[in-house]
Amino acid sequence: MNADPTGTRYPHLDLGDLIAGAAGQPTGDRAREHLAGCEHCQREANRWNLVADGVRDLATAAPEPAQPARPGRTGRRVPAGPWRRALLVAGSVAAALVLLIGLGEVTGFVHVHLSGPGSKTALTAVTGCSQIEQVDGTLEQVNGNSLVVRTASGQPVTVTTTATTFMSMSGALLSDITDGASVMVRGSGSDGTIKAAIVTVGQPFSAVNPAGFVPVQGTVADASTAGFTLVTSSGTRIPVTTSGDTLVVVPHASPAQLQAGATIFAVGDAGPDGTLSARAVAAVSQFRSGPHVRVSVRDCSPSSIDEAIGAVSARRVSGS
Amino acid sequence: MNDLHRDVGPPTFTGSHDPACDDAGLLRRIGQGAEDAMAAFYREYGRVVFAQVLLVTGERVLAEEIVQDTMLAVWRGAGSFRGESSVRSWVIAIARRQTRDRLRGQRLRVVDDAFLADQPGSGPGPEVMALDRAELAEVRDAIRELAPAHREVLGLAFGAGLSLPEVAGVLEIPVGTVKSRLTAARTALNGILEKKGQNR
Repeated sequence: MNADPTGTRYPHLDLGDLIAGAAGQPTGDRAREHLAGCEHCQREANRWNLVADGVRDLATAAPEPAQPARPGRTGRRVPAGPWRRALLVAGSVAAALVLLIGLGEVTGFVHVHLSGPGSKTALTAVTGCSQIEQVDGTLEQVNGNSLVVRTASGQPVTVTTTATTFMSMSGALLSDITDGASVMVRGSGSDGTIKAAIVTVGQPFSAVNPAGFVPVQGTVADASTAGFTLVTSSGTRIPVTTSGDTLVVVPHASPAQLQAGATIFAVGDAGPDGTLSARAVAAVSQFRSGPHVRVSVRDCSPSSIDEAIGAVSARRVSGS
Repeated sequence: MNDLHRDVGPPTFTGSHDPACDDAGLLRRIGQGAEDAMAAFYREYGRVVFAQVLLVTGERVLAEEIVQDTMLAVWRGAGSFRGESSVRSWVIAIARRQTRDRLRGQRLRVVDDAFLADQPGSGPGPEVMALDRAELAEVRDAIRELAPAHREVLGLAFGAGLSLPEVAGVLEIPVGTVKSRLTAARTALNGILEKKGQNR
């Protein structure tokens, strides 16, 4: 928060907090608590969130860049200048050709891999990490730690999980909001009450971080079908209302908790016979946006995969 | 309030981290001439670089050429990466230099944009912000009408996923100036929305 020159607390969040929040970066408890009770800061946060959403919307709508092509080999407009200059600067035609060959492998950012017998149409590449693959479809059954997922093309795929697989479950799961649960609430505030759009039950809260909402963290009390009281770490009690439109996300679910019929998004390593050894799974109930969602990660790190699956879990609300 | 960011627990997902995915390692391999590493790098960063450059230039073909220049620069200069910044901000900084080199030859107004970007905004106060009434599609369209320097700083902060210090590093300006530029961009955006609202 801002501090005035005498060291006393200025009553509002500083620009860095607001921008970090809009950028989807984590903010601390004090900032969230302040936001929950400060209409001025909520307005400012909403303005920055809208600007950030606009930028992200443009980025999402941006066409994929054309595949780098060698001059003279295609009929389309050829950016001959850069290549010619690169050849001169590199001082080696061979080096440039190596690069062209390397880039030529990329025929787009997402493409189907042949990952084993019977998997030609089931496993697809994940944008941002070439080491992992994705499968999505409807959960048919759970066999211990294995999930049987039927893809849109009707092909069954076995997804194996382990204790280290990050498994997120989301939907209208209001019954999972129980007294004493540690939650993070995202929604709109009015008169000191939060109308919950997303409630994340249990850590890691950072896995679910959609733009456009002000997050407040605390413990659940007085849980009912209409809402609950959020008790923050400082003891502040904030009324929260929920409805059938409230998305509940449980970032750490077990296979036994998953319900048949949920839409499954799993990413991991291609296994034998077309199976997928999952690093992360999102199980979304009442998925509204259609089954064809491409998982996109910043890089191959666990935290990046974690965030990507969290984004899929919250997709129903965020529309991202 | 950066210190408060620390109390957000680290992700507990504990899947193994494939060393082949390590970005710095990827650059090392590119520096050794591994073309598969270059292809992997392009897959990881091509789109984010393209989106940022397209946001600034507004011209697809030009943006594609700049991305190609950037990737060539990565191919040639991967060995110079010292790990003093994230790979993401490093490659975006390269793309920015490539963009400026291209635009400098075409449009001197870029210099003016950079100057204007840091001037205090003269738009309406927060109580009358057009942003409060705007829809997402209107904001998206208005962003396209901003000056390149404004689009650039917004893209770095909200599109490319860089932190404020990383944005400052890419733009080679202090963090405080990044904040000023972001505020100026938002004020300009608000002005565009205000004007559009009056014309409706």
